[in-house]
Amino acid sequence: MKREKFIFTTLLIPFFLFSLNLRLTRLDRDDKAASPYSSQQTKYLLGENLLANSNQNVPEKDSVKRRLQLTRKTREGAAESPPPKMLTKIRPENLALSTRDKKRKKDSFSYQNRIHNINEGNPFRSNGIQYVPDQVLVKFKPSLSAEQREATVAAYQTRKIRRIPSIDIYHLQTPENVSVEEMLYLLEQNPDVEYAVPNHIRHLAITPNDPLFGQQYALYNPNQIVPPGSPQQGIERPDIRAREAWEETMGDDEVIIAILDTGVDFGHPDLDDKLLMNGYDFVNDDSDPTDDHYHGTLVAGIAAAETNNDEGIAGVAWNCKILPIKIADNTGWVDVATEILGIERAVQSGAHVINLSIAGPGYSQPERDAIRDAYNNGIVVVAAAGNSGAGTEYPAAYDECLAVAATDSEDLNTAWSNYGPEIDVAAPGEGIVGPVPTWFWGPGSFPYASGDGTSFSAPHVAGLAALIIGIKGLEEGDILLDDDDILIVEDVMNIIRYTADDVNYGNYPGRDDFIGFGRINMERALVPIIISALNKKR
Amino acid sequence: MKKTHAYVFCLSSILILSCFSSAAAQERTLFNAVSISPGIGFEYLSRTINWDDDQYTSKLKSNYFTFDTEIELQGGLFVRAVLGFTTANYRSLVFRQLPLSVDLGEEIGYIGGYLLGAGIKKSIIHSEDLRIDLLGQFFYGIGSKKEWEISELPVEGSLEGRPNWTKVTVGPVFTYTGFETFFPYLYLNFNKFWGRFKMDETIQDLEGSETKKIKGESSFCVSLGLTYKITESFSIKSEARFLPYKDGIDSGIMIKVMYSFY
Repeated sequence: MKREKFIFTTLLIPFFLFSLNLRLTRLDRDDKAASPYSSQQTKYLLGENLLANSNQNVPEKDSVKRRLQLTRKTREGAAESPPPKMLTKIRPENLALSTRDKKRKKDSFSYQNRIHNINEGNPFRSNGIQYVPDQVLVKFKPSLSAEQREATVAAYQTRKIRRIPSIDIYHLQTPENVSVEEMLYLLEQNPDVEYAVPNHIRHLAITPNDPLFGQQYALYNPNQIVPPGSPQQGIERPDIRAREAWEETMGDDEVIIAILDTGVDFGHPDLDDKLLMNGYDFVNDDSDPTDDHYHGTLVAGIAAAETNNDEGIAGVAWNCKILPIKIADNTGWVDVATEILGIERAVQSGAHVINLSIAGPGYSQPERDAIRDAYNNGIVVVAAAGNSGAGTEYPAAYDECLAVAATDSEDLNTAWSNYGPEIDVAAPGEGIVGPVPTWFWGPGSFPYASGDGTSFSAPHVAGLAALIIGIKGLEEGDILLDDDDILIVEDVMNIIRYTADDVNYGNYPGRDDFIGFGRINMERALVPIIISALNKKR
Repeated sequence: MKKTHAYVFCLSSILILSCFSSAAAQERTLFNAVSISPGIGFEYLSRTINWDDDQYTSKLKSNYFTFDTEIELQGGLFVRAVLGFTTANYRSLVFRQLPLSVDLGEEIGYIGGYLLGAGIKKSIIHSEDLRIDLLGQFFYGIGSKKEWEISELPVEGSLEGRPNWTKVTVGPVFTYTGFETFFPYLYLNFNKFWGRFKMDETIQDLEGSETKKIKGESSFCVSLGLTYKITESFSIKSEARFLPYKDGIDSGIMIKVMYSFY
């Protein structure tokens, strides 16, 4: 008899312990939260064609038309690009509601109202674990004394992490090998327990507080935000998944994006703290690359505006720095020789990404050599494909560049976006909101505008490249060197290509000449992809 | 804390080496085996591991199915050899240095592998009711290659992972020998676990590799066990293990059936 008892004990204890690990019950996990942003009220910005506005405080009014179509031209008379893309003024102090919105809601909304609404909705990420794996929150019935509660906690072999006195909740750690589900099941059987729930995880919902973030459908478009003034109805999430990606990284302030453009407004409140002071103006050959157009300021803002600063827009790469290099004059003209000087300057200044929102016909060997030199020096060069609705223009057409086409708020390739086998990826380029120089709309005006063009698609990609470099390379020291498994330029370009959303899969499965590998997806490029047993290779 | 570990490790190593040297002195009688005890066992351990220079932690759940042989030599010296299979769940391990970062999710499942081990035990004190032994064990796990596909990309992508690990335990075993048929024991041991998980990623022409160094959060283990002799030759051993670390306690169990030839 004694022997049997010991056999029983010896076998039973380990098996009992082991069986505790087996899940007795599975609680249904939370359903997805209600549809996000259902109450979001989107006010379309007042579309106002710059061409029609004769009262702007803009130098050289007669040159406005040329300024708006920033394609690369030579002063020697290269062919003009097709009609310009509209630049739309943002007037926050006098936002007009669309007719539909007016019917829906008579009262006008303040800016703050719109931003508040944008914060409602789903948790940031619904994948991954949804509660802390070894913790529960328990509320005992008030009739139970403190001693009895402590005894109950001890009886379940849980460890009290803390008691939250204001709502009388016990935060407990479950015993090892007892799952949360099992613990909750056991606690729910106890009549002294009012309720027991998992310790749910709430992800940081990275919604920047920039007032115009709600208008940046390119970054986050949960509820069919459409470009200002557009009659289009957007589809679900036709955006580059910036919010999800920002949870992983907001960029490294050591990563530099060189904006080779018309310069940047150093006084703009959404850019002033992001600009490096060692830029250069190759148009006037001085060290003051101030924007006397608007294009460079808008491009720089899209790539890396100051974000979460209660001001204007959110940039793709929150923390990365901008190196302004002025290669285009106040009419938007740029020649290859000046462009080459700008590229050379970016290389010498230690830039990691070069954005070239310029385009024009005609292969140029010197231009290619300069870009190849940048590529060989570990710089990712991103270029706009052009807006002529024709073949991809240069410099985007060079192999060493990431050629970026434009999509719209419905993830459709825009009619004016250039195409061809050189296209690598696409990014939103229609109705893109960004900063313009503070003088642009006149004294005291709101220095923001929206614009169309692959010029504004490219900086989305440049920002993503900067984020990838920041998270993949800088931790190991020097970046973009082909050793020790550190990424090389081509790797960064391939990450951007291979993580894109093939949004025209229905008509053109796989890579195609219109949007390349697809519209970029920042989440997939940056956030760890969750692998499960379902991914097991067969 | 690390210094303490080093001291314990050095002390234990010296003691083991002294066992060997004393054993060497008795070389003439050493290899005359007193008993040979083959056995089969099962072990489960949920252990907290850390990685990326202690920045992150996750739980490594492992099962071990072992075939081992313990040889008792003269002079109170035991040697043990272990062969076995192991399955381990490396969930929540994140590889961020690959071109595309990947996270072995909650549902990653187990990765199989093989286990090799060896141990040596030397009796130090053997009084009427108490025996104190010094036990040192070494285990090496070789994970088998596992492949996954990366879905939802516009191009084909795959991952290939292969883990391996090493575990060393050294410490005294206090066995109460006052009972006739069962012998409770306490094994206090320095318990060091470390390993690597190599992950290769291939996405079209984009290739990368990352080797993640992992190590056990705890370096100390308390094992409470019981050896029960059913017959003179047949015995069962069960053990519960507790590995305290700064934020909690890991635990595991072991059960082993042995048959002794004399």
